[in-house]
Amino acid sequence: MNLIRLILLSLFILSQAQADTIYNLIKIPNLEIYEINTPNKLRYLYAKQPFTIGVDNNINCFNSEKKFLDKKYKIIKKNLDRYDQNFLRKINLKYIVLCEDLSISKINTAGIPDNIMKTLILDIKFNESYFERVIHHEVFHIINDTYKELFDEKIWSNFNIKNFEYADCSTCTNKIGLDTYKNTDGFFTEYSRSTASEDMAEVFSHLIIGSSVDNKDTILQNKIKFIRDNLLKIDRNFKL
Amino acid sequence: MIQKIKASRSEKIILIFIILLTVFSFGSFLLIKDKCLFVKDYDPKKIKFNKPKNIAILNVPCGNVIIELYPDTSPNGVKRFMTLVKSKAYDNVAFHRVIKGALVQAGDLEFGKRGNIDYGRIGTGKSGLGTINSEVDNPFNFEKGSVALARTQKYNTEDSQFFIILRDEPLYETEYTPIGKVIYGLEALEEIKYLDKSQYVLRPDFINTLRMLID
Repeated sequence: MNLIRLILLSLFILSQAQADTIYNLIKIPNLEIYEINTPNKLRYLYAKQPFTIGVDNNINCFNSEKKFLDKKYKIIKKNLDRYDQNFLRKINLKYIVLCEDLSISKINTAGIPDNIMKTLILDIKFNESYFERVIHHEVFHIINDTYKELFDEKIWSNFNIKNFEYADCSTCTNKIGLDTYKNTDGFFTEYSRSTASEDMAEVFSHLIIGSSVDNKDTILQNKIKFIRDNLLKIDRNFKL
Repeated sequence: MIQKIKASRSEKIILIFIILLTVFSFGSFLLIKDKCLFVKDYDPKKIKFNKPKNIAILNVPCGNVIIELYPDTSPNGVKRFMTLVKSKAYDNVAFHRVIKGALVQAGDLEFGKRGNIDYGRIGTGKSGLGTINSEVDNPFNFEKGSVALARTQKYNTEDSQFFIILRDEPLYETEYTPIGKVIYGLEALEEIKYLDKSQYVLRPDFINTLRMLID
C-alpha cells in the first residue's frame, strides 16, 4: 500500500504545471479546438473527453463521435453566423463548447450560458425538433445575463394578464413543452410560462427563427417590442 | 629492498574508468550549472533594424531578447509599455509566472521587484499609472514569441504586466492586447526558471534591464 502511495506521490511531484490554454481561458477541462477561423470570431471547441465542472461538480457533458460533431457543427455555425462580431463582443459571447448529454444537477439541458467566461456550452444531441431555435434561446440568456438592467422582469411580467404568475425557477415547474402554440395567448410555448427570463428567451428565439405572430395577440406584440427595443439599445445595427 | 609492483591490467582499466568518470562528472556539473551555455546572446548593435525606434532590448540571465513593438496594432498598449521601459520601471522585476514551453510573464512593478518581492501578492501589483483599455480588434497572429499585455479576467484591466508566449497560441487573438514580437533571442526566455508543479515561481529569475534601442 505504501509503495503504491509512493508511486502516486512521485507521479504527482514529477508532473508538469499544466499549460492547457483553453482551460486557462474558460475553466473547462478536456476541450480541444474545433474551429476558430470564423467570420464572427466565435471559437468552437469540442469535448475530447467527458468533463465535469460547476459547484459540487454538478455540470456534466460528454464527448461525441466525430461524424456527429461535424454534422451538428454545420447547423450550429449556420445559426450563430447570424450574429456579427461586434454584437457578440457586446454580449460577451466568444466560446462555443460542443458536447453531448449535457446536464446540470442531473437534469438534462440544451445549453449552459456563462457570460462571465464568454462561453456557451451546447448539447449537440438535444432534441432535433427544437435544436436550431434552442441555440438562439441560449444566446438570449447570455444577452440577458450581460444586460440585466435592460431586461427588467417586473416590466416584462406586467405584459401578462393579471393574476398570472411565473414559477420560482425554470426547473421548479412541469411547464417544459417547447412546441410552438397555434394560439399563442401571450406565450409562444409552454416553457415560456416557466419564468420571465425563459419567456423572454422563447420570444427572442422565435423572433430569430422568424415565427409569425398573430396580430391579435397584443401581449406577445408588446413582448416582441420590448425585446426588439432593448436589443437595439445594445446594438443599433442588430437585425431581427 | 623495495620491489616495484606493476599494476595489473584490470587495475589499469579501473584507474582509467575512475579518471573518465571524474572528468565526465565535472563536465556534466559545469554544463548543468550553466543553463545559458548553449544560448546565443545577441548584440543589438550588430543588427540592422527596419524600425529601430520600435525595438526594445530585454536583458535576462541568458542574454538579450530583442523585441519589435507594434504601435500600429495596439497604440495605447505600446505607449504604456514604452513609458515604463523609458522610466526603467521593469529593471529587476521578476518573471513571476512561467509555464515551461508555454509562456513567461513579468511586470509586476509593485510586488515583483528584486529584494522586495511579495510572494503572497505577486501578480496583483499595479504600476500607479492606472489601467488601460484592451486593444483586441486588430488582427494579430499569436505565434511563438508574441508579446502581449496581461490582464485580469476582465477586459480593460491592462497595466504593466506582460507575457511572451513560447508556442503558438491562436486562441489569444481578440483575448489579449498584443504589443510586439520577439525577433531575436527567444532561446534566452526558454531558460527562464520555472517550477514543475506551479505556474508561480518561488525564487524567480529577474529582468536585468529593459531598454529601448533608441531612447
